[in-house]
Amino acid sequence: MTAAADDQDPHVLRELIARSQETIDRLNLDLARRTNDVRIIQQISSEITSTLDLDEVLGIVLGAMERVLGFQHSMLLLAEPAGDTVVVAATRGYGRPSTDARVRIGDGVIGVVAERKALMRVGNIGTSLRYLQAIRARMQAAGQAPAGEAPAALPGLPDAQSQLALPLLVKDRLVGVLVVESAKPNAFDDLDEVVLRIVGNQAATAIDNARTYRMVDQLGRLKRFFSPHLAELIIRGGADDPLKTHRREVTVVFLDLRGFTAFAETAEPEEVMGVLREYHAEMGKLILAHEGTLERFTGDGMMIFFNDPLPVPDAGRRAARMSAEMQERVSPLTAKWRRLGYELGLGIGIAKGFATIGGIGFEGRWDYGAIGTVTNLAARLCGEAKGGEILVSTRLAGEIEDIAETEELAPLTLKGFARPVPAMKLVRLKPA
Amino acid sequence: MGLLPDEIKAAMQGVIPSHVVTCAADGTPNASAISQVYYVDGDHVALSHQFFNKTKRNLAENPHAMVWLIHPETFDTWDLELVLDHSETSGPVFDAMDMQIEAIASMVGMKGIFKLKAADIFRVISVVKTSGERIRR
Repeated sequence: MTAAADDQDPHVLRELIARSQETIDRLNLDLARRTNDVRIIQQISSEITSTLDLDEVLGIVLGAMERVLGFQHSMLLLAEPAGDTVVVAATRGYGRPSTDARVRIGDGVIGVVAERKALMRVGNIGTSLRYLQAIRARMQAAGQAPAGEAPAALPGLPDAQSQLALPLLVKDRLVGVLVVESAKPNAFDDLDEVVLRIVGNQAATAIDNARTYRMVDQLGRLKRFFSPHLAELIIRGGADDPLKTHRREVTVVFLDLRGFTAFAETAEPEEVMGVLREYHAEMGKLILAHEGTLERFTGDGMMIFFNDPLPVPDAGRRAARMSAEMQERVSPLTAKWRRLGYELGLGIGIAKGFATIGGIGFEGRWDYGAIGTVTNLAARLCGEAKGGEILVSTRLAGEIEDIAETEELAPLTLKGFARPVPAMKLVRLKPA
Repeated sequence: MGLLPDEIKAAMQGVIPSHVVTCAADGTPNASAISQVYYVDGDHVALSHQFFNKTKRNLAENPHAMVWLIHPETFDTWDLELVLDHSETSGPVFDAMDMQIEAIASMVGMKGIFKLKAADIFRVISVVKTSGERIRR
Protein backbone atom coordinates (compact mmCIF):
# COMPACT_ATOMS: atom_id res chain seq x y z
CA MET A 1 0.00 0.00 0.00
CA THR A 2 2.79 2.40 0.90
CA ALA A 3 4.48 1.88 -2.41
CA ALA A 4 1.21 2.46 -4.23
CA ALA A 5 0.43 5.64 -2.25
CA ASP A 6 3.81 7.15 -3.18
CA ASP A 7 2.86 6.65 -6.76
CA GLN A 8 1.10 9.78 -7.99
CA ASP A 9 -0.63 8.07 -10.90
CA PRO A 10 -4.31 9.22 -10.61
CA HIS A 11 -5.53 5.83 -11.90
CA VAL A 12 -3.86 4.08 -9.03
CA LEU A 13 -5.29 6.59 -6.54
CA ARG A 14 -8.78 6.16 -7.91
CA GLU A 15 -8.34 2.42 -7.72
CA LEU A 16 -7.18 2.72 -4.09
CA ILE A 17 -10.16 4.87 -3.12
CA ALA A 18 -12.57 2.51 -4.83
CA ARG A 19 -11.05 -0.44 -2.98
CA SER A 20 -11.20 1.33 0.37
CA GLN A 21 -14.85 2.09 -0.25
CA GLU A 22 -15.39 -1.59 -1.07
CA THR A 23 -13.78 -2.59 2.18
CA ILE A 24 -15.91 -0.12 4.15
CA ASP A 25 -19.07 -1.36 2.43
CA ARG A 26 -18.17 -4.94 3.21
CA LEU A 27 -17.45 -4.13 6.86
CA ASN A 28 -20.75 -2.24 7.13
CA LEU A 29 -22.61 -5.17 5.65
CA ASP A 30 -20.86 -7.51 8.04
CA LEU A 31 -21.70 -5.28 10.99
CA ALA A 32 -25.33 -5.06 9.92
CA ARG A 33 -25.50 -8.82 9.72
CA ARG A 34 -23.96 -9.25 13.15
CA THR A 35 -26.30 -6.69 14.71
CA ASN A 36 -29.22 -8.45 13.11
CA ASP A 37 -27.95 -11.79 14.41
CA VAL A 38 -27.78 -10.51 17.97
CA ARG A 39 -31.35 -9.25 17.72
CA ILE A 40 -32.47 -12.59 16.28
CA ILE A 41 -30.75 -14.53 19.03
CA GLN A 42 -32.45 -12.43 21.71
CA GLN A 43 -35.81 -13.00 20.07
CA ILE A 44 -35.30 -16.77 19.83
CA SER A 45 -34.08 -17.10 23.39
CA SER A 46 -37.10 -15.32 24.81
CA GLU A 47 -39.40 -17.57 22.75
CA ILE A 48 -37.62 -20.77 23.71
CA THR A 49 -37.74 -20.10 27.42
CA SER A 50 -41.43 -19.18 27.34
CA THR A 51 -42.75 -22.75 27.48
CA LEU A 52 -42.16 -26.10 29.15
CA ASP A 53 -43.99 -28.07 26.48
CA LEU A 54 -41.45 -30.21 24.63
CA ASP A 55 -43.22 -30.18 21.26
CA GLU A 56 -43.60 -26.42 21.46
CA VAL A 57 -39.91 -25.97 22.25
CA LEU A 58 -38.94 -28.15 19.28
CA GLY A 59 -41.30 -26.21 17.02
CA ILE A 60 -39.93 -22.85 18.16
CA VAL A 61 -36.32 -23.90 17.58
CA LEU A 62 -36.94 -25.20 14.07
CA GLY A 63 -39.28 -22.32 13.25
CA ALA A 64 -36.51 -19.92 14.20
CA MET A 65 -34.07 -21.82 11.97
CA GLU A 66 -36.16 -20.99 8.94
CA ARG A 67 -37.93 -17.78 9.80
CA VAL A 68 -35.05 -15.85 11.29
CA LEU A 69 -31.90 -17.62 10.19
CA GLY A 70 -33.04 -18.63 6.73
CA PHE A 71 -32.16 -22.34 7.03
CA GLN A 72 -34.87 -24.11 5.09
CA HIS A 73 -34.25 -27.71 6.11
CA SER A 74 -33.75 -28.48 9.76
CA MET A 75 -34.14 -31.45 12.10
CA LEU A 76 -33.99 -31.99 15.80
CA LEU A 77 -33.00 -35.39 17.08
CA LEU A 78 -33.20 -36.36 20.73
CA ALA A 79 -30.91 -38.70 22.60
CA GLU A 80 -32.63 -41.86 23.76
CA PRO A 81 -32.39 -43.03 27.36
CA ALA A 82 -31.02 -46.38 26.19
CA GLY A 83 -28.15 -44.50 24.60
CA ASP A 84 -27.12 -46.00 21.25
CA THR A 85 -29.38 -43.99 18.95
CA VAL A 86 -30.76 -40.50 18.47
CA VAL A 87 -34.33 -40.27 17.22
CA VAL A 88 -35.83 -37.60 14.96
CA ALA A 89 -38.26 -35.63 17.14
CA ALA A 90 -39.11 -32.72 14.83
CA THR A 91 -38.38 -31.66 11.26
CA ARG A 92 -39.02 -28.58 9.18
CA GLY A 93 -38.85 -28.06 5.43
CA TYR A 94 -39.22 -31.66 4.28
CA GLY A 95 -42.06 -32.84 2.09
CA ARG A 96 -42.45 -36.04 4.06
CA PRO A 97 -41.63 -35.68 7.74
CA SER A 98 -39.41 -38.48 8.95
CA THR A 99 -40.07 -38.25 12.68
CA ASP A 100 -39.26 -41.37 14.68
CA ALA A 101 -36.43 -42.25 12.28
CA ARG A 102 -33.43 -43.36 14.29
CA VAL A 103 -29.75 -42.70 13.69
CA ARG A 104 -27.22 -44.99 15.31
CA ILE A 105 -24.53 -43.18 17.26
CA GLY A 106 -21.51 -43.09 14.95
CA ASP A 107 -23.44 -43.23 11.66
CA GLY A 108 -23.11 -40.35 9.22
CA VAL A 109 -22.66 -36.71 10.12
CA ILE A 110 -25.43 -36.76 12.75
CA GLY A 111 -24.27 -40.01 14.35
CA VAL A 112 -20.64 -38.90 14.54
CA VAL A 113 -21.63 -35.52 16.00
CA ALA A 114 -23.65 -37.38 18.67
CA GLU A 115 -20.74 -39.72 19.33
CA ARG A 116 -18.06 -37.05 19.66
CA LYS A 117 -20.26 -34.31 21.08
CA ALA A 118 -18.64 -31.85 18.71
CA LEU A 119 -20.04 -29.59 16.01
CA MET A 120 -19.43 -30.55 12.40
CA ARG A 121 -19.82 -28.52 9.23
CA VAL A 122 -19.52 -30.28 5.91
CA GLY A 123 -19.97 -28.49 2.61
CA ASN A 124 -18.99 -31.20 0.19
CA ILE A 125 -20.91 -34.34 1.06
CA GLY A 126 -21.55 -35.24 -2.57
CA THR A 127 -17.93 -34.84 -3.63
CA SER A 128 -16.64 -36.67 -0.57
CA LEU A 129 -19.03 -39.55 -1.07
CA ARG A 130 -18.06 -39.94 -4.71
CA TYR A 131 -14.38 -39.76 -3.76
CA LEU A 132 -14.72 -42.42 -1.07
CA GLN A 133 -16.93 -44.58 -3.25
CA ALA A 134 -14.25 -44.52 -5.95
CA ILE A 135 -11.58 -45.51 -3.46
CA ARG A 136 -13.80 -48.20 -2.01
CA ALA A 137 -14.40 -49.65 -5.48
CA ARG A 138 -10.63 -49.81 -6.02
CA MET A 139 -10.05 -51.36 -2.62
CA GLN A 140 -12.84 -53.86 -3.17
CA ALA A 141 -11.30 -54.84 -6.50
CA ALA A 142 -8.03 -55.44 -4.67
CA GLY A 143 -9.84 -57.39 -1.93
CA GLN A 144 -8.91 -54.82 0.73
CA ALA A 145 -12.42 -53.67 1.58
CA PRO A 146 -15.60 -55.57 2.40
CA ALA A 147 -18.09 -55.96 -0.43
CA GLY A 148 -21.64 -54.72 -0.18
CA GLU A 149 -23.41 -51.44 -0.38
CA ALA A 150 -23.80 -48.48 1.95
CA PRO A 151 -25.44 -48.95 5.36
CA ALA A 152 -28.98 -47.91 6.36
CA ALA A 153 -30.39 -44.70 4.90
CA LEU A 154 -30.14 -41.61 7.06
CA PRO A 155 -32.99 -39.17 7.58
CA GLY A 156 -32.93 -35.81 5.82
CA LEU A 157 -32.42 -34.63 2.26
CA PRO A 158 -31.38 -37.49 0.00
CA ASP A 159 -29.07 -35.15 -1.93
CA ALA A 160 -27.75 -33.02 0.95
CA GLN A 161 -24.45 -31.40 0.02
CA SER A 162 -24.04 -29.27 3.13
CA GLN A 163 -24.78 -30.15 6.71
CA LEU A 164 -24.17 -28.25 9.87
CA ALA A 165 -24.82 -30.47 12.87
CA LEU A 166 -24.56 -29.30 16.45
CA PRO A 167 -24.62 -31.50 19.54
CA LEU A 168 -27.06 -30.16 22.13
CA LEU A 169 -25.29 -30.52 25.43
CA VAL A 170 -26.20 -29.79 29.01
CA LYS A 171 -23.09 -30.07 31.19
CA ASP A 172 -21.45 -32.39 28.66
CA ARG A 173 -24.50 -34.69 28.58
CA LEU A 174 -25.95 -35.20 25.09
CA VAL A 175 -29.56 -34.02 24.91
CA GLY A 176 -29.86 -34.20 21.13
CA VAL A 177 -28.53 -33.02 17.78
CA LEU A 178 -29.67 -29.96 15.83
CA VAL A 179 -29.12 -30.26 12.10
CA VAL A 180 -29.51 -27.78 9.27
CA GLU A 181 -28.81 -28.90 5.74
CA SER A 182 -28.94 -27.85 2.14
CA ALA A 183 -28.76 -29.38 -1.32
CA LYS A 184 -26.31 -26.62 -2.20
CA PRO A 185 -22.62 -27.13 -1.52
CA ASN A 186 -20.90 -24.83 0.99
CA ALA A 187 -24.22 -23.48 2.22
CA PHE A 188 -23.02 -22.60 5.72
CA ASP A 189 -20.20 -20.34 6.85
CA ASP A 190 -18.33 -19.44 10.04
CA LEU A 191 -20.98 -16.96 11.12
CA ASP A 192 -23.79 -19.50 10.69
CA GLU A 193 -21.77 -21.78 12.92
CA VAL A 194 -21.47 -19.12 15.63
CA VAL A 195 -25.18 -18.26 15.56
CA LEU A 196 -26.20 -21.92 15.61
CA ARG A 197 -23.95 -22.55 18.60
CA ILE A 198 -25.62 -19.79 20.62
CA VAL A 199 -29.15 -20.85 19.71
CA GLY A 200 -28.15 -24.48 20.27
CA ASN A 201 -26.99 -23.82 23.82
CA GLN A 202 -30.32 -22.28 24.72
CA ALA A 203 -32.25 -24.97 22.88
CA ALA A 204 -30.36 -27.69 24.78
CA THR A 205 -31.33 -26.23 28.14
CA ALA A 206 -34.93 -25.61 27.08
CA ILE A 207 -35.33 -29.12 25.66
CA ASP A 208 -33.75 -30.66 28.72
CA ASN A 209 -36.07 -28.71 31.03
CA ALA A 210 -39.12 -29.66 28.98
CA ARG A 211 -38.10 -33.33 28.96
CA THR A 212 -37.49 -33.29 32.70
CA TYR A 213 -40.85 -31.64 33.25
CA ARG A 214 -42.57 -34.23 31.06
CA MET A 215 -40.74 -37.02 32.87
CA VAL A 216 -41.67 -35.78 36.33
CA ASP A 217 -45.26 -35.46 35.17
CA GLN A 218 -45.23 -38.99 33.75
CA LEU A 219 -43.41 -40.33 36.78
CA GLY A 220 -46.08 -38.91 39.07
CA ARG A 221 -48.76 -40.59 36.98
CA LEU A 222 -46.96 -43.93 36.93
CA LYS A 223 -46.15 -43.90 40.63
CA ARG A 224 -49.86 -44.01 41.35
CA PHE A 225 -49.93 -47.54 39.99
CA PHE A 226 -46.42 -48.90 40.18
CA SER A 227 -43.61 -49.11 42.65
CA PRO A 228 -41.20 -46.16 42.45
CA HIS A 229 -38.55 -48.52 41.13
CA LEU A 230 -40.76 -49.71 38.30
CA ALA A 231 -41.95 -46.20 37.46
CA GLU A 232 -38.31 -45.11 37.05
CA LEU A 233 -37.60 -48.14 34.90
CA ILE A 234 -40.52 -47.30 32.60
CA ILE A 235 -39.37 -43.68 32.29
CA ARG A 236 -35.82 -44.72 31.47
CA GLY A 237 -37.14 -46.92 28.70
CA GLY A 238 -36.23 -50.20 30.45
CA ALA A 239 -39.87 -51.33 30.36
CA ASP A 240 -42.68 -50.65 27.92
CA ASP A 241 -45.21 -47.99 28.77
CA PRO A 242 -47.85 -50.13 30.50
CA LEU A 243 -50.57 -47.62 29.74
CA LYS A 244 -50.44 -48.64 26.06
CA THR A 245 -53.13 -51.25 25.49
CA HIS A 246 -51.72 -54.76 25.27
CA ARG A 247 -52.78 -58.34 25.90
CA ARG A 248 -50.98 -60.57 28.33
CA GLU A 249 -51.43 -63.58 30.56
CA VAL A 250 -51.64 -62.39 34.16
CA THR A 251 -52.34 -63.78 37.59
CA VAL A 252 -54.93 -61.66 39.36
CA VAL A 253 -55.40 -61.50 43.14
CA PHE A 254 -58.47 -59.96 44.76
CA LEU A 255 -58.73 -59.30 48.49
CA ASP A 256 -61.36 -57.88 50.73
CA LEU A 257 -62.37 -57.92 54.35
CA ARG A 258 -65.32 -60.09 55.38
CA GLY A 259 -67.62 -58.21 57.70
CA PHE A 260 -66.32 -54.84 56.59
CA THR A 261 -69.66 -53.48 55.39
CA ALA A 262 -71.33 -54.28 58.71
CA PHE A 263 -68.35 -52.87 60.56
CA ALA A 264 -68.37 -49.65 58.52
CA GLU A 265 -72.08 -49.21 59.19
CA THR A 266 -71.76 -49.46 62.96
CA ALA A 267 -68.28 -48.07 63.77
CA GLU A 268 -67.21 -44.43 63.86
CA PRO A 269 -65.58 -43.22 60.61
CA GLU A 270 -62.30 -42.56 62.47
CA GLU A 271 -62.23 -46.20 63.61
CA VAL A 272 -62.93 -47.41 60.08
CA MET A 273 -60.11 -45.26 58.72
CA GLY A 274 -57.80 -46.56 61.46
CA VAL A 275 -58.50 -50.19 60.55
CA LEU A 276 -58.09 -49.51 56.84
CA ARG A 277 -54.81 -47.72 57.40
CA GLU A 278 -53.33 -50.65 59.33
CA TYR A 279 -54.61 -53.14 56.79
CA HIS A 280 -53.41 -51.17 53.73
CA ALA A 281 -49.97 -50.60 55.26
CA GLU A 282 -49.42 -54.31 55.91
CA MET A 283 -50.78 -55.44 52.54
CA GLY A 284 -48.85 -52.71 50.70
CA LYS A 285 -45.54 -53.95 52.10
CA LEU A 286 -46.22 -57.49 50.89
CA ILE A 287 -47.32 -56.33 47.42
CA LEU A 288 -44.04 -54.43 47.04
CA ALA A 289 -42.00 -57.33 48.43
CA HIS A 290 -43.49 -59.75 45.88
CA GLU A 291 -43.36 -57.18 43.05
CA GLY A 292 -47.07 -57.25 42.42
CA THR A 293 -48.85 -54.45 40.60
CA LEU A 294 -51.56 -52.77 42.63
CA GLU A 295 -54.26 -52.04 40.10
CA ARG A 296 -56.63 -50.36 42.52
CA PHE A 297 -58.07 -50.38 45.98
CA THR A 298 -61.59 -49.46 46.89
CA GLY A 299 -62.24 -49.29 50.61
CA ASP A 300 -61.37 -52.76 51.88
CA GLY A 301 -60.95 -54.32 48.44
CA MET A 302 -57.70 -54.58 46.48
CA MET A 303 -56.82 -55.91 43.07
CA ILE A 304 -53.24 -56.92 42.43
CA PHE A 305 -51.75 -58.61 39.43
CA PHE A 306 -48.54 -60.28 38.42
CA ASN A 307 -46.68 -60.47 35.09
CA ASP A 308 -47.50 -56.94 34.01
CA PRO A 309 -46.00 -54.50 33.38
CA LEU A 310 -42.88 -56.37 34.45
CA PRO A 311 -42.88 -59.93 33.12
CA VAL A 312 -42.12 -62.48 35.85
CA PRO A 313 -41.61 -66.18 35.16
CA ASP A 314 -43.39 -67.37 38.33
CA ALA A 315 -46.42 -65.10 38.50
CA GLY A 316 -48.74 -67.82 39.89
CA ARG A 317 -46.36 -68.83 42.67
CA ARG A 318 -45.66 -65.25 43.63
CA ALA A 319 -49.40 -64.64 43.90
CA ALA A 320 -49.88 -67.75 46.07
CA ARG A 321 -46.95 -66.93 48.36
CA MET A 322 -48.03 -63.32 48.73
CA SER A 323 -51.60 -64.37 49.55
CA ALA A 324 -50.50 -66.90 52.17
CA GLU A 325 -48.25 -64.28 53.79
CA MET A 326 -51.10 -61.80 53.73
CA GLN A 327 -53.33 -64.18 55.66
CA GLU A 328 -50.51 -64.73 58.16
CA ARG A 329 -49.97 -61.00 58.55
CA VAL A 330 -53.68 -60.23 58.89
CA SER A 331 -54.40 -62.82 61.59
CA PRO A 332 -52.87 -60.82 64.51
CA LEU A 333 -54.75 -57.79 63.17
CA THR A 334 -58.10 -59.62 63.14
CA ALA A 335 -57.40 -60.83 66.69
CA LYS A 336 -56.79 -57.27 67.75
CA TRP A 337 -59.90 -56.03 65.92
CA ARG A 338 -61.92 -58.80 67.56
CA ARG A 339 -60.86 -57.55 71.01
CA LEU A 340 -62.19 -54.14 69.96
CA GLY A 341 -65.44 -55.83 69.01
CA TYR A 342 -65.12 -55.96 65.23
CA GLU A 343 -65.56 -59.29 63.48
CA LEU A 344 -63.36 -58.99 60.36
CA GLY A 345 -61.55 -61.57 58.24
CA LEU A 346 -59.58 -61.50 54.97
CA GLY A 347 -60.89 -63.34 51.89
CA ILE A 348 -58.67 -63.83 48.86
CA GLY A 349 -59.37 -65.09 45.31
CA ILE A 350 -56.71 -65.85 42.70
CA ALA A 351 -57.11 -66.67 39.00
CA LYS A 352 -54.87 -66.84 35.99
CA GLY A 353 -55.62 -66.03 32.35
CA PHE A 354 -55.33 -63.53 29.50
CA ALA A 355 -56.44 -59.97 29.99
CA THR A 356 -56.36 -56.78 27.96
CA ILE A 357 -54.37 -54.27 29.93
CA GLY A 358 -53.71 -50.59 29.48
CA GLY A 359 -54.76 -47.05 30.18
CA ILE A 360 -58.49 -46.64 30.65
CA GLY A 361 -60.08 -43.23 30.98
CA PHE A 362 -59.67 -39.83 29.41
CA GLU A 363 -57.13 -37.01 29.26
CA GLY A 364 -56.15 -35.92 32.73
CA ARG A 365 -57.69 -38.94 34.44
CA TRP A 366 -56.08 -42.10 33.18
CA ASP A 367 -56.25 -45.33 35.10
CA TYR A 368 -54.35 -48.48 34.58
CA GLY A 369 -56.68 -51.45 34.32
CA ALA A 370 -57.13 -55.03 33.19
CA ILE A 371 -60.19 -56.35 31.42
CA GLY A 372 -60.98 -60.02 30.94
CA THR A 373 -62.71 -63.06 32.41
CA VAL A 374 -59.70 -63.61 34.64
CA THR A 375 -60.36 -60.46 36.67
CA ASN A 376 -64.01 -61.34 37.03
CA LEU A 377 -63.17 -64.89 38.14
CA ALA A 378 -60.65 -63.70 40.74
CA ALA A 379 -63.18 -61.20 42.10
CA ARG A 380 -65.93 -63.85 42.32
CA LEU A 381 -63.61 -66.36 44.02
CA CYS A 382 -62.67 -63.64 46.51
CA GLY A 383 -66.36 -63.04 47.13
CA GLU A 384 -66.86 -66.76 47.90
CA ALA A 385 -63.84 -66.98 50.26
CA LYS A 386 -64.62 -66.88 53.96
CA GLY A 387 -62.43 -64.95 56.40
CA GLY A 388 -58.94 -66.47 56.38
CA GLU A 389 -59.50 -68.41 53.13
CA ILE A 390 -57.70 -68.28 49.78
CA LEU A 391 -59.65 -69.65 46.81
CA VAL A 392 -57.82 -70.35 43.56
CA SER A 393 -58.91 -71.31 40.06
CA THR A 394 -58.10 -74.90 39.00
CA ARG A 395 -55.74 -73.57 36.35
CA LEU A 396 -53.66 -71.82 38.98
CA ALA A 397 -53.89 -74.76 41.40
CA GLY A 398 -52.05 -76.94 38.89
CA GLU A 399 -49.23 -74.44 38.72
CA ILE A 400 -48.68 -74.13 42.47
CA GLU A 401 -49.10 -77.76 43.54
CA ASP A 402 -45.38 -78.10 44.28
CA ILE A 403 -45.40 -75.22 46.77
CA ALA A 404 -48.91 -75.36 48.24
CA GLU A 405 -51.40 -77.85 49.64
CA THR A 406 -54.80 -77.43 48.04
CA GLU A 407 -58.22 -78.88 48.65
CA GLU A 408 -60.89 -79.39 46.02
CA LEU A 409 -64.21 -77.60 46.50
CA ALA A 410 -67.62 -78.35 45.06
CA PRO A 411 -68.08 -76.34 41.83
CA LEU A 412 -69.21 -72.81 42.59
CA THR A 413 -72.08 -70.99 40.99
CA LEU A 414 -70.64 -67.55 40.22
CA LYS A 415 -72.19 -64.43 38.79
CA GLY A 416 -71.13 -63.90 35.18
CA PHE A 417 -70.39 -67.60 34.61
CA ALA A 418 -73.02 -69.73 32.87
CA ARG A 419 -71.87 -73.01 34.41
CA PRO A 420 -70.66 -73.94 37.91
CA VAL A 421 -66.93 -73.20 38.20
CA PRO A 422 -64.58 -75.75 39.79
CA ALA A 423 -62.25 -74.17 42.35
CA MET A 424 -59.65 -75.14 44.98
CA LYS A 425 -58.82 -73.85 48.40
CA LEU A 426 -55.20 -73.09 49.22
CA VAL A 427 -54.76 -74.69 52.62
CA ARG A 428 -51.15 -73.85 53.37
CA LEU A 429 -47.76 -73.41 51.76
CA LYS A 430 -45.56 -76.50 51.84
CA PRO A 431 -42.44 -75.96 53.95
CA ALA A 432 -39.60 -74.86 51.64
CA MET B 1 -4.12 -10.96 9.98
CA GLY B 2 -2.60 -13.87 8.18
CA LEU B 3 -1.81 -14.35 4.54
CA LEU B 4 -5.01 -16.24 3.73
CA PRO B 5 -7.94 -13.97 2.82
CA ASP B 6 -11.42 -14.78 4.16
CA GLU B 7 -12.82 -15.44 0.70
CA ILE B 8 -10.42 -18.37 0.26
CA LYS B 9 -12.27 -20.38 2.94
CA ALA B 10 -15.00 -21.38 0.48
CA ALA B 11 -12.30 -22.96 -1.68
CA MET B 12 -11.22 -25.03 1.32
CA GLN B 13 -14.48 -26.96 1.78
CA GLY B 14 -13.57 -29.63 -0.72
CA VAL B 15 -16.40 -28.89 -3.12
CA ILE B 16 -13.98 -28.84 -6.02
CA PRO B 17 -10.91 -31.00 -5.44
CA SER B 18 -7.61 -29.20 -5.04
CA HIS B 19 -4.23 -30.13 -6.48
CA VAL B 20 -0.96 -30.48 -4.67
CA VAL B 21 2.49 -30.53 -6.23
CA THR B 22 5.51 -31.94 -4.41
CA CYS B 23 9.05 -32.81 -5.37
CA ALA B 24 11.19 -35.87 -4.81
CA ALA B 25 14.77 -35.50 -3.59
CA ASP B 26 16.05 -35.79 -7.15
CA GLY B 27 13.76 -32.97 -8.29
CA THR B 28 11.09 -35.08 -9.99
CA PRO B 29 7.76 -33.25 -9.52
CA ASN B 30 4.48 -34.98 -8.69
CA ALA B 31 1.01 -33.51 -9.04
CA SER B 32 -1.91 -35.10 -7.32
CA ALA B 33 -5.60 -34.33 -6.76
CA ILE B 34 -6.67 -34.12 -3.13
CA SER B 35 -10.19 -34.01 -1.79
CA GLN B 36 -9.75 -31.13 0.61
CA VAL B 37 -7.33 -28.55 1.95
CA TYR B 38 -8.36 -27.62 5.50
CA TYR B 39 -8.21 -24.08 6.80
CA VAL B 40 -6.38 -23.98 10.15
CA ASP B 41 -5.75 -20.26 10.63
CA GLY B 42 -4.66 -17.24 8.58
CA ASP B 43 -1.18 -18.72 8.08
CA HIS B 44 -1.71 -22.48 8.21
CA VAL B 45 -3.54 -25.15 6.29
CA ALA B 46 -3.77 -28.90 6.82
CA LEU B 47 -3.80 -31.86 4.46
CA SER B 48 -5.15 -35.21 5.51
CA HIS B 49 -2.84 -38.19 5.61
CA GLN B 50 -4.94 -41.29 5.06
CA PHE B 51 -2.81 -43.44 2.79
CA PHE B 52 0.87 -43.65 2.17
CA ASN B 53 1.42 -42.28 -1.32
CA LYS B 54 3.90 -40.43 -3.45
CA THR B 55 2.93 -37.05 -1.99
CA LYS B 56 3.71 -38.32 1.48
CA ARG B 57 7.00 -39.85 0.36
CA ASN B 58 8.08 -36.66 -1.40
CA LEU B 59 7.25 -34.52 1.63
CA ALA B 60 9.54 -36.66 3.74
CA GLU B 61 12.36 -35.81 1.34
CA ASN B 62 11.37 -32.20 0.60
CA PRO B 63 8.87 -30.34 2.83
CA HIS B 64 7.92 -27.75 0.19
CA ALA B 65 4.63 -27.97 -1.69
CA MET B 66 2.36 -25.93 -3.94
CA VAL B 67 -1.41 -26.12 -3.76
CA TRP B 68 -3.89 -24.95 -6.39
CA LEU B 69 -7.32 -23.98 -5.02
CA ILE B 70 -10.56 -23.30 -6.90
CA HIS B 71 -13.48 -21.30 -5.50
CA PRO B 72 -16.62 -23.39 -6.15
CA GLU B 73 -18.89 -20.41 -6.98
CA THR B 74 -16.68 -17.70 -8.53
CA PHE B 75 -14.10 -20.14 -9.94
CA ASP B 76 -11.38 -17.84 -8.68
CA THR B 77 -8.13 -19.72 -8.25
CA TRP B 78 -5.19 -19.37 -5.89
CA ASP B 79 -1.69 -20.74 -5.73
CA LEU B 80 -0.45 -21.44 -2.22
CA GLU B 81 3.20 -21.94 -1.49
CA LEU B 82 3.52 -24.20 1.55
CA VAL B 83 6.10 -25.82 3.75
CA LEU B 84 5.32 -28.81 5.96
CA ASP B 85 5.56 -27.73 9.56
CA HIS B 86 4.55 -30.79 11.56
CA SER B 87 2.06 -33.65 11.74
CA GLU B 88 -0.65 -33.95 14.38
CA THR B 89 -2.40 -37.10 15.55
CA SER B 90 -4.58 -35.41 18.18
CA GLY B 91 -5.92 -31.99 19.04
CA PRO B 92 -8.74 -29.85 17.64
CA VAL B 93 -7.55 -29.75 14.02
CA PHE B 94 -7.00 -33.50 13.87
CA ASP B 95 -10.35 -34.17 15.59
CA ALA B 96 -12.31 -31.94 13.22
CA MET B 97 -10.77 -33.58 10.14
CA ASP B 98 -11.03 -37.06 11.62
CA MET B 99 -14.72 -36.74 12.44
CA GLN B 100 -15.55 -35.52 8.92
CA ILE B 101 -13.76 -38.49 7.41
CA GLU B 102 -15.44 -40.87 9.84
CA ALA B 103 -18.89 -39.43 9.07
CA ILE B 104 -18.53 -39.80 5.32
CA ALA B 105 -16.82 -43.20 5.63
CA SER B 106 -19.73 -44.50 7.71
CA MET B 107 -22.09 -43.45 4.93
CA VAL B 108 -20.36 -45.73 2.43
CA GLY B 109 -19.93 -48.60 4.87
CA MET B 110 -16.20 -47.98 5.25
CA LYS B 111 -16.02 -46.86 8.85
CA GLY B 112 -12.74 -47.88 10.39
CA ILE B 113 -11.21 -48.54 6.96
CA PHE B 114 -10.97 -44.91 5.87
CA LYS B 115 -9.17 -43.40 8.78
CA LEU B 116 -7.20 -40.25 9.28
CA LYS B 117 -3.63 -41.26 10.13
CA ALA B 118 -2.44 -37.72 10.69
CA ALA B 119 -3.18 -34.08 9.95
CA ASP B 120 -0.17 -32.60 8.16
CA ILE B 121 0.07 -28.94 9.11
CA PHE B 122 1.66 -26.59 6.56
CA ARG B 123 2.80 -23.02 6.99
CA VAL B 124 1.68 -20.73 4.18
CA ILE B 125 4.64 -18.91 2.63
CA SER B 126 2.78 -17.03 -0.10
CA VAL B 127 -0.68 -16.70 -1.60
CA VAL B 128 -1.25 -15.59 -5.17
CA LYS B 129 -4.70 -15.13 -6.59
CA THR B 130 -4.30 -16.33 -10.13
CA SER B 131 -7.71 -15.22 -11.39
CA GLY B 132 -10.29 -12.52 -10.74
CA GLU B 133 -8.21 -9.53 -9.73
CA ARG B 134 -5.87 -9.97 -12.60
CA ILE B 135 -8.71 -9.98 -15.03
CA ARG B 136 -10.01 -6.66 -13.65
CA ARG B 137 -6.71 -4.90 -14.17
